[in-house]
Amino acid sequence: MVTPIDIIKKKRAQAVNRIISKGYLSTKRVYVGMATCEIAAGSKEVMAEFRQAIANGLTDVYLSQKGCAGRCNLEPTVEVVEEGKIPVKYGKVTSERAREIIERHLKKGEVITEWLI
Amino acid sequence: MVDLRKGEQHVNDQKYKLTLCDGPTCIHNRSREIRESIESEIEKQGLSGQVSIHLSGCLGMCKKGPILIVNPGYVMYGQVQPEDIPAIIKSHLVEGNPVAGKVIQEDHLYNRFFRIFGDVDFFGKQMRITLRNCGIIDPENIDDYLSVRGYEALAKVLTEMKPTDVVAEVKKSGLRGRGGAGFPTGLKWEFTANQKSDEKYVICNADEGDPGAFMDRSAIEGDPHTVLEGMVIAGYAIGSRKGIIYIRAEYPLAIARLEKAIAAAREHGLLGDNILDSDFSFDIEIRLGAGAFVCGEETALIRSIEGARGMPRPRPPYPSVSGLFGKPTLINNVETWANIPVIVLDGGDWFNAIGTETSKGTKVFALAGKVRNTGLVEVPMGTTLRKIVYDIGGGIPNDKPFKAIQTGGPSGGCLPAEYLDTQIDYESLAKAGSIMGSGGMIVIDEDSCMVSLARFFIEFTQDESCGKCTPCREGTKRMLEILTRITKGNGKEGDIEKLQRLGRMIQKSSLCGLGQSAPNPILSTIKNFREEYEEHIREKKCRAGQCAALLSYVVNDKCVGCGACKRVCPVNAVEGTRKEKHRILEDVCIRCGQCYDACKFDAITKA
Repeated sequence: MVTPIDIIKKKRAQAVNRIISKGYLSTKRVYVGMATCEIAAGSKEVMAEFRQAIANGLTDVYLSQKGCAGRCNLEPTVEVVEEGKIPVKYGKVTSERAREIIERHLKKGEVITEWLI
Repeated sequence: MVDLRKGEQHVNDQKYKLTLCDGPTCIHNRSREIRESIESEIEKQGLSGQVSIHLSGCLGMCKKGPILIVNPGYVMYGQVQPEDIPAIIKSHLVEGNPVAGKVIQEDHLYNRFFRIFGDVDFFGKQMRITLRNCGIIDPENIDDYLSVRGYEALAKVLTEMKPTDVVAEVKKSGLRGRGGAGFPTGLKWEFTANQKSDEKYVICNADEGDPGAFMDRSAIEGDPHTVLEGMVIAGYAIGSRKGIIYIRAEYPLAIARLEKAIAAAREHGLLGDNILDSDFSFDIEIRLGAGAFVCGEETALIRSIEGARGMPRPRPPYPSVSGLFGKPTLINNVETWANIPVIVLDGGDWFNAIGTETSKGTKVFALAGKVRNTGLVEVPMGTTLRKIVYDIGGGIPNDKPFKAIQTGGPSGGCLPAEYLDTQIDYESLAKAGSIMGSGGMIVIDEDSCMVSLARFFIEFTQDESCGKCTPCREGTKRMLEILTRITKGNGKEGDIEKLQRLGRMIQKSSLCGLGQSAPNPILSTIKNFREEYEEHIREKKCRAGQCAALLSYVVNDKCVGCGACKRVCPVNAVEGTRKEKHRILEDVCIRCGQCYDACKFDAITKA
């Protein structure tokens, strides 16, 4: 008999596949905080910068929104996660900073240490 | 050596970050000795300057402790002993090969965020059960939730647990309501489960109203499915088919995400008829509140859902017997719901091992006020205020002295520095004269006036009083009048005693929690900062310089006569000729403080 546990395991496998098909295994995963607090601090504009960069041909990047991690006075926050590396957490990201993160970090692999949380 | 970060130009951060669990069990199992051996071994093996050591809060894996995590890679070692350190450093950090026999593979729901945020002290010293997915998954995509073992707890319950087993597990966990009162959740579930009725309701209280508290909003916006999963499990446990989330309309994004989550869950057969092909059916709908503070009180909330004016009623009967539309109703807060899937998957015993004798698990606090790192802090019960304010919060800006901490929102009290080492749980906070409440936490330094602070909170509760019972309606009004008078410099002898008498009366005779707790900020500030009240009343002085009516502005000798103050003064109270020392006419001055802000030469003194 197929139990609810069997069903949920299958659902999980399918969900993981769908996430991977959206590019999860890209070298860099970028998470932009998009809760009420982050949006109020300007994260929509930041998200738009990343979306634009991908539309303009930036590859090998998986972009996702996320809820708020709870670090209020450094919002908006953006994480860049790479397998085998320490996840990079940027605070107070503005449109300008987002553009620099795209140019320097995402394209050239440089961690911009002065903006780290 | 394997250079895992090749291609990076910046080398000023370390190659390896080691995290040691600094929870009480791991400390007991020699984790602090391990730290010493790591430090000496790093030195010996020539890695000085390349490795940083971090201490985490409890990681929740006490049975496998002490825990050591090596980053990058998030390799976790369990049951580490000081003797193991040389081999781990040599093999893993120097040669790049993790020591296989010591590595543990753990897949728990909690502390997932630690993988990404663990090396930042603000996050690393927390323990995240409720907010486990907030900030690491996409809240609008059910796939993200499913991939982190989402709805597995529900499947487990439907596959292998009887409703009574679920209630027993929640009881075993020792979880208590996170909305403020701290009633044992398992008992509530049991009472509702034991009622015989053709219909029962499950309600999520998301009517978060404390000024400065936003953990429920954050939890819903960051991880809405967790709340749904918790509610469905409860529905199964108590024999209900219908859930309602009562959330205030002023949280539009949280509502939108909940709606999206409910739709996605229905599509996946996780809500609706025959959930996961079982014979259990349950569905959830959202009801919007208009934002009245009193509707966070459960009986008022229920009346509001019924379509009546949100006003509390006397209990008993409790909602578990006669709640929504007179049917047995289980009502829990957002944070409480978010704990349920973890309790089901990791077990009530595991949850019960975290926290203090009387309060189990973790609590989320909204840390704000005069503190460097503001934000949401989730820590095990029993953590001291000092740890929250200094280790996680980073202390007070400009290293000003700590004056007090206000916990529990407008219904809570102010605790002075002597309570910094209090281990927080429901009982210890109550004993100290405050409450856990929903978890607001405001740090106060010497620049804040305790009388104005008390006045601010009573103004809020007075405004939100529903008016049904006289002590709350009239009593808070009188208290506000007296406090306003004191802050305006018109305080009278006997005012303090009158406030205390009124406060005790309101506490004892109000109908609901709002009134019963409304005097807390006043009574606790009188108890702990009575001298400030006396100064306001007798000397007409506000030591924090916050009560505008009690200040006078004086021009000192630093004045160069630039005229900046004269230009901004709205009532022409500044006189003087250019390049000569100016003067403020005290009887004209309205004490707005604009001259003080405008002066670039520190030439105006507040006294």
